[in-house]
Amino acid sequence: MTTTSAARATAARPARPRPRPGTYIAILAVLAITVWAGLGIEFDLTPLWTDLGRGWFIIQEFLAPNWSYIERTIGPFIETLSIAVLATLAGCVIGLGMSLLASRVTTSNPVLYRAAKLFLSVVRSLPDVGYGLLFFALVGAGSLAGILALIMFNIGIIAKLTSETIDAVDRGPLEAADAAGASSLQRARFAVVPMILPNYLSYCLYVFELNIRASVVIGIVGGGGIGSSISVEFARFNYANVSAIVVLLIVVVFLIDLLSQSLRRRLT
Amino acid sequence: MISFRDVTVTYPGGTVGLDGVTLDIDPGEFVVVVGLSGAGKSTLVRSINGLVPVTGGQLLVDGVHVDGAKPVQLRRLRSRIGMIFQSFNLVGRISVLQNVLVGRLHATPLLLSLVGYFRPADRERAFQALERVGIVEKAYVRASQLSGGQQQRVAIARVLAQDSTVILADEPVASLDPPTAHMVMRDLERINDELGITTIVNLHFLDLARRYADRIIGMRDGRVVFDGTPAEADDAVFEEIYGRSLTAEDVLSAEEEAAQQEAAQKASASGGETEPTRKATRA
Repeated sequence: MTTTSAARATAARPARPRPRPGTYIAILAVLAITVWAGLGIEFDLTPLWTDLGRGWFIIQEFLAPNWSYIERTIGPFIETLSIAVLATLAGCVIGLGMSLLASRVTTSNPVLYRAAKLFLSVVRSLPDVGYGLLFFALVGAGSLAGILALIMFNIGIIAKLTSETIDAVDRGPLEAADAAGASSLQRARFAVVPMILPNYLSYCLYVFELNIRASVVIGIVGGGGIGSSISVEFARFNYANVSAIVVLLIVVVFLIDLLSQSLRRRLT
Repeated sequence: MISFRDVTVTYPGGTVGLDGVTLDIDPGEFVVVVGLSGAGKSTLVRSINGLVPVTGGQLLVDGVHVDGAKPVQLRRLRSRIGMIFQSFNLVGRISVLQNVLVGRLHATPLLLSLVGYFRPADRERAFQALERVGIVEKAYVRASQLSGGQQQRVAIARVLAQDSTVILADEPVASLDPPTAHMVMRDLERINDELGITTIVNLHFLDLARRYADRIIGMRDGRVVFDGTPAEADDAVFEEIYGRSLTAEDVLSAEEEAAQQEAAQKASASGGETEPTRKATRA
């Protein structure tokens, strides 16, 4: 024992390895790409101060919100909340099913697994506004377009987060269910879902928060709700009305975030 | 009846788990498999229900081939083979009863089980299983709230609810303290006695093996190097199986049965002193 520890003590300390040239090349490449991108669009900060005064009258209107307009926004706000609730519910249910398909833990069939992963990549490649425009074109303006757009948006997020949670689940209980002769769906129902449930519900609440915000943008492109009101008031140059909506929006989003966060903290 | 015929298990990485194992285990036997970690005892137990696929030879359970079984056949086979694990493998977030009902999944139609419904007869079996391991009062408690020993009893109840003819136990007491380990081993012994379920247990404590086994199988480097009664398995045999001299870590240290502990309390002085001497002579 003493001889080995003595041998260890006398062993030479290794020299600090030299940084690999790859590191420098990577840093240079990032800088070069940044400069190239800036030159490509003729990036210039000067309009920030030369043109700042131009919109001053708009800002002045924004600073004086038309409070009397607020009571007329209550209907659209309720519509936005309803859109968010329905889209969250549908998106989260479908997203859970997709996440089970998109994890190797629950889907052993490689073809099915690959197909689910590919489908979700495609779903995620389009942003929320993209879906808003798509469904506006398909079903016309209104809350249905908004709901459908948000459902697609939610499936992408929920399935991504949940399938990654499933990947990291403790395999022990799954093995026990296998050993008891359970089928893979039964195993998912009794071992996987209970284990991921707190995380999954937390993701659902997170997605609900996102939906309130996203439904505003989607409303602007024709998805109904408060976004439509903003769009209409903008078109009429009623900036004081827009300002009132925005103030109320900030309050609503803030309150929902607070509520959702306190619920999520209790879940995990 | 479980028959190994020249069974080989080679893992994808090339590691040999079992190297030409041939042995028969009769119905109702209480077999303890001993060996160092990596000797293949876990592979032996896990090959019986196909958790580890057999790569060579034939392995039959009650006349059904485990080697080359299709998923549906394997599931049917597994429903008749219960398994207990070192880390209990309960789902912590659901109730004890729900965990035990996992043992009834194989007999429950898919749609019923997906909505979480179990037929009254299946629930009754789950309750009976919990009564048999003496933990029925915890039926509606979350599994994660139980102690290690209680969790392992729930795992045993899950196996009982399965109505299996074979129980496999892969290091069932390695995560438990000595008195609890004995309690779990006694549960297994009692179930083996009362229900005649073939029981195959992996252990590395030689005192537990000697005490509870009808038959001891020693494994080394994926081969069976000893197969005999506990009486035949003296220290020399264990040294042969382990390939080294025995140490204090090879025994659980003799925490005795609750009854004997009570007896020991009456004569605590003598009871406490004999322990270390026995361990010292073994080491």
